[in-house]
Formats: sequence, structure tokens, C-alpha cells
Amino acid sequence: MSVVKKIKALLKEAEMYHSQGLLYEAMAKYNDATELVQKSDQLKDKPALIGGISKKINTLKKDISRIELAPKKPEMSTNIQDLIKKMSLFSPDLDEDAKALDAAVTLAKFGQFKRAISEFNTLLKKDSTRIPAAKNILRCHIALYSSNDAVAQYQTWLSEDAFHPDQLDKLRIFLENQLKREGVEKTLPKTKDQIIEISAEASAEADEEHVPAPEITDEEHHEPAAESEDVLDVNSLGITVDDGPQKGNVYEFKVRFQLGKVVSLLIPSREKDVVENFKVGSEIHNVQYYTNVGLFNGSGLVAAVKEITIGPLRGDFCVDIEVVVH
Amino acid sequence: MAILNFKKRQIECKIVYYGPGRSGKTTNMEYVYRTYTKQVTGDMVSIDTEGDRTLFFDFLPMGLGEIKGFDVKVQVYTVPGQVQYRSTRKLVLKGVDAVIFVADSLAVRREKNMLSLKDLQHNLKEYGISIFKIPLVMQHNKRDLVSEALPIMSLEQMEKDLNRQLKVPSFPASALTGKGVGATLKECLKLTLVSLKKEMKLE
Repeated sequence: MSVVKKIKALLKEAEMYHSQGLLYEAMAKYNDATELVQKSDQLKDKPALIGGISKKINTLKKDISRIELAPKKPEMSTNIQDLIKKMSLFSPDLDEDAKALDAAVTLAKFGQFKRAISEFNTLLKKDSTRIPAAKNILRCHIALYSSNDAVAQYQTWLSEDAFHPDQLDKLRIFLENQLKREGVEKTLPKTKDQIIEISAEASAEADEEHVPAPEITDEEHHEPAAESEDVLDVNSLGITVDDGPQKGNVYEFKVRFQLGKVVSLLIPSREKDVVENFKVGSEIHNVQYYTNVGLFNGSGLVAAVKEITIGPLRGDFCVDIEVVVH
Repeated sequence: MAILNFKKRQIECKIVYYGPGRSGKTTNMEYVYRTYTKQVTGDMVSIDTEGDRTLFFDFLPMGLGEIKGFDVKVQVYTVPGQVQYRSTRKLVLKGVDAVIFVADSLAVRREKNMLSLKDLQHNLKEYGISIFKIPLVMQHNKRDLVSEALPIMSLEQMEKDLNRQLKVPSFPASALTGKGVGATLKECLKLTLVSLKKEMKLE
């Protein structure tokens, strides 16, 4: 085959791949064609040919960047969200309430926070899902809006007597720990009266700009005993890698969601290498679980490893680990 | 796993089109949606991003008649084929009853086909399903591109690459023209129903 025919064939192939949406394959063929033109001594108007191919490459580059920079879709339509929820229904082992909770957590995992909050709110009415739903609402508020929004939600529950005092106590401690993880040191009101007191203190602090902020010392708190059927709220966990090239390395991860014994970790995309250590079904030995009341040692079963594909956390990883207490 | 609803006398099962990006999964479903109007029970839902790439999944509800007085409903999904959507593919596979693997006949996509099949095996395994046991049908798509003088793999080559060990039913197809689309789906539905009957001891 002559050089001209070869070049024509390569360009035709590139065009076809482009039309098929196989952009990188098309790029490879255009590059092959350019190389062939550059190497050939038989061609008359090489600069014009190379210029023509470059134009096509530029169009292709634009298409590639359009795809790579496609706008994120943090919230999908209700129709799509319903379908996402429906996927969770293929969990025959769960009861109806647990399925509904699982569906709402799935929505949150896919960045559909507003809808997830709405679903969790419905689940507040049921005893079995009340506390996990409330905790997930607070998490969604932090992820979607800000920590202040989560605090406002807690204060609303407090002022409306929406929960029993012991439940509110759990939620308060849980939220304080979530806030700490966000770098916010905040003492939350324990009673309705304290909402007003703390608000007044906060506005006084704002007025007295040059006065150092008074340190609010919390009275010693005794955490209520964990419910026997549930695992303590885990705020973060430390894992010592015991195999492979990263053996001996210690990693600490924040817990983003917790559903019973299963904790969901959010691992940034830059730590992809670490994620590769987590094989679904495998057991991680030597795990330190940090809770509101202290640390306990245990192990963990890797339940799921998912890459987040939409929303602001796109590219990060969500790893579900079942807590095994020794 | 199919969902059996005794109250409604309904069996709901799930079929997933799997395969590498741009292999023609959505095109298969579009053809089914346009052609099998009698069996299709609702609108096709597509969630795609720039360049017509599937972002989450495509969805098509179908009805298959009755088995022993149970109305058989089928949810047909496609997965996003692009490598970066691995977690979404896994989520879509949750509760799957049967899979149609759409392979791309273009020679340049040979490796992508094999990687995608491996990815399918891995994701099924994570749900405790063996790729050797689930109803699976293979489709060698884009056979029409032979006429465009593009480097296309022979069917023998594709069988050797993808179906040597699995030995599942396979069909050459052109989803764009519809050739082979119906045969692939019918075979998959047949295998699904046989498996359902066995699983639910309805035979």
C-alpha cells in the first residue's frame, strides 16, 4: 500500500472512531497519520497535510475536554431518584423499614442529599429507624449546606421536644463529634433554655470584638451505655496495613455514615492506593475504632467499595466496613 | 435475586446489559424500546452525560406474561461502560437475575472487552454470584462495521477471547440496525425464566 493510501486509511479509521465516540482511539489514529506524513519523503505538501490533521485533532481535543469537564449533577430528577431507591429494594434480607433506610442512605451516597433528607425525615416517625435517620439527617446537612445548618436542625429538634431526652443526648454528642471532625469546636445546648443562653453568649462575643472568647468548659459527661443491639457511634477508625507494599502504614479515616454495624468511610481520590487494599469480603485485622467514649480495638469486614461518580465528592471512594468487636 | 410478591401474584426480575463503554448497550435498549412495544410496559429512562455516555444507567420496564399464575415483570438496565463508573456498575448489578454482555467487534476495543468481562465477573463475585452460574448471553455487536472496512475481529476470535471458558449462548449483532438484538434478548429472557422456575421451584 502506498503512503498516501495508508494515510487516507488511517484518517478514515480515525473519522469512524470519532463518530463512534471512541475518542482516544481516534486520537491514536490521527497521531499515527501525522507521524507517517512527517516521515514520508514522497509527499509534496506536507505542512498543509499536517495542518489539516492538526485541525481535526483540535476538534477531537475539544470533544474530549467537553466530556471530561461535563457538568456535575448533584441533584437528579425525582424520577431518577426513585429508580436509584428502587435498586435498594433488591435486598430481600432486610425488613421494610431497614430497606427504606438503606434506600435513603443510597441516595445520600450518590449525592442526592436533599431527597435523602426528605426520606430520612419520614423515617424519623418509626422507632426502629428514628436515631440512625436523625444522625444521617445531620450528616446530610453538613455535606449539603454547612455545620451551622446541622446545628440549627438539632436546635429545632431540641426546641420542639421531638425526641426523648436520652435520644437528644445521643444526637447532641454525635453532632458535637461530627463538628469536631469538620474542625468546629462547639458546645451544643442540652436543654431548650440553653439554646437562648448560648445564643446570647454568642452575640455578646460578637459584640466584644477585642475580648478573648471565653472558654466554655463542658461539665464531665457520662456517655449513656450503648444499646445492646447496636454498635457505638464510630467517629473515625485507624487501620494498620498488615500486608503488601504498604505494610506497617497506619491510616485514619473519618466515618461518614453509620448504619448499625456498618460504617461508611469517605476516602479522597488522592488516596486511591489505600483503597486498593480493601477487597470486598476480606477482613481487616487490627482496627482501632474511635467512638464518643473512647477507643476500642477490633477488626472489620469490607462490605463494599464504591467510587463516587457524581456530585461534589466525585472521584472519592466510599468504603463500607462492618465493625467486628473482639 | 427475583422479588416474589405473593399478594400481587407478581415476580419481578432484573436483566442488565453490561459491556465496555460505547459498545452499544444503550443502542440495544433503544431498539428493544422501539420494537417490542407489546412487551414494553413503560417509558425508557436514560441518564446520559456529554457525548451520549451513560452516566448512571438506562432503564426499561417489560412484562413477560405469566408463570404459574404469577405476572412476570422484568426491569432491564444498562450500566455505564466507562471505566470510572465502576461503583455505579456494581450498584446497578445489585439483585441481577441475568446479564447480556455486549462486546465491541472493533479490533481496537479487544482489550476493553476483556477488561469489562473481568469487571463483570469481579462485581458479580462481590454479590456472591458466579459468572459461570448466572444466566448470561454474549452479544458481538457492531458487525455492520465490516462494510466500513474497519479492522473488525472475527467471531472466532471474539469467542476465543470472551467465551472460551464461559461457553454461553452468543449472537452476532448490529444494534444500530437491530440485527441480532431481539435474538440476544429472547435467549436471555428464556434463560432467566428457566432459572426463575428452578429457583422458585415453580416447575
